[in-house]
Amino acid sequence: MMRQQAGLKTCGPRTGMGIDSHAASPPETPLDKSNPDAQRLAARQKILRLRSRANRSLWAMALFLAVSIAALNHFSFLPPLPEQIQDLLGTPPPTLMISGLLILYSFSSLVLILARMIGDAVSHGGFYHVAYLTGFYCFYNLAGSLEDNFWAVFAAGATILSLEGYHLWTWCSRQINAENEKLDRLDGK
Amino acid sequence: MIKSLAGKAIIPVAVTVTGFVIVCCLLLYSVMKVDMTANAERQATVLAGTVVKSTRYAMLQSDDENLRDIIATISSQQGVEHVRIFNKKGLIEFSSDQAEIKRFVDKKTAGCIGCHSGPVPAAKLGEMQQARQFVNGKGREVIAITAPIYNEPDCYNASCHFHPPGQKVLGTLDIGLSRQPLQQSLATMRGRMIIFTIMTLILTVGGVTALLVRSIFGPMKMIKNYCDAICRGDFKHGLPPFDGQMEELADSVQRVATELNKTASALKEAEDRLAVPGRQAEEPKDPPHNDETASRAEDLRTENRHGD
Repeated sequence: MMRQQAGLKTCGPRTGMGIDSHAASPPETPLDKSNPDAQRLAARQKILRLRSRANRSLWAMALFLAVSIAALNHFSFLPPLPEQIQDLLGTPPPTLMISGLLILYSFSSLVLILARMIGDAVSHGGFYHVAYLTGFYCFYNLAGSLEDNFWAVFAAGATILSLEGYHLWTWCSRQINAENEKLDRLDGK
Repeated sequence: MIKSLAGKAIIPVAVTVTGFVIVCCLLLYSVMKVDMTANAERQATVLAGTVVKSTRYAMLQSDDENLRDIIATISSQQGVEHVRIFNKKGLIEFSSDQAEIKRFVDKKTAGCIGCHSGPVPAAKLGEMQQARQFVNGKGREVIAITAPIYNEPDCYNASCHFHPPGQKVLGTLDIGLSRQPLQQSLATMRGRMIIFTIMTLILTVGGVTALLVRSIFGPMKMIKNYCDAICRGDFKHGLPPFDGQMEELADSVQRVATELNKTASALKEAEDRLAVPGRQAEEPKDPPHNDETASRAEDLRTENRHGD
């Protein structure tokens, strides 16, 4: 226990991680350090927030799954685009270009997530990845090649969101452990 | 939460490499499928042109018997699903299927609507627009090509013929080829790509895992076991030689263990001396040594306390 506490005090990246956590969450009111009850309450609230944050990636995955099911049916539930809008949009990009962009996007996303894992930076749950992937589904659908490329987008989404979810889950778990240790110290265990 | 270092290091790498290789393979397969289909359509278009040129003389001579024979011969070729020639009005004049002769083709089907979508039918189409894919009545997937038979000076200048020079298209040849060879090629390619992907993944993920286990996790486990043994007071065993940074770590741990061993021995010696009455008096030179050992032990204790 002593070693763990000392580790928390001296470990550099953990301090940085704490700063990142605060930067990503709404500003907290300064705690009265002489009041253990207030500290306990703050720690418990933070644990609850972290638990709900860890579930964000699951929501993102569920949303991506719903979009994928819609894409599998070629977005048939949506009304067809009016001709005026189609004319405004012009000809869709070639399939080869969309595929090239998908590879570039997958590669850069995976590298960025790995870099965040190495730097122990906070993850946002991957909702913006769902938006990008929906864009790819739409472009392939407009180019008339969604049937051939559906599984590529799905595999890219599954990989990126899994990695993002894994990162968020491990990050939140570490934070929760730190808060639990803090609670233990406050309880004199 | 995954606590082992091996899990933390290997899972993200495995997920990243596996996912990216699968995405690349799926996109590569999709691109190759499009290329191969386009190639098959191009070959079918060339074949249709060859058939039109082969039947040209028979048409100029209005030799129906010869035309029927050519179409029957071509349709008997393996992989050819249908061959038919119909006139401008869509009346089928010659066909490999005797039942459809003298019937009208449906202008709304996939092969016809390209020209007949507007009020005035188009006279010329690009190669790929002439190709269509569908499942025929026998349940086989077919790539069909419609090649227009254009009016030429030889046609409207011939004494036996009645086509006016203003008529651009005299009729259309429709030839359907089975997609089975293409599908077999695609299936073979798919299988090979799956094998290649699995082999790449095994090599990459397995290689990274093996290297990590060999270079980091194995030596770390040995150092941990060594430290556990030191904690139990077992100073007999040493560490095997390592490479690079692991060697530096092992050297540091061994130096600490050696110092600890010396201190423990010195402490034990001092305790033994204190435990035997009268020995202290016999050995007057010992106290400075004892002081040194005690102060060293105290220093180490202080360092340990600071380290904690």
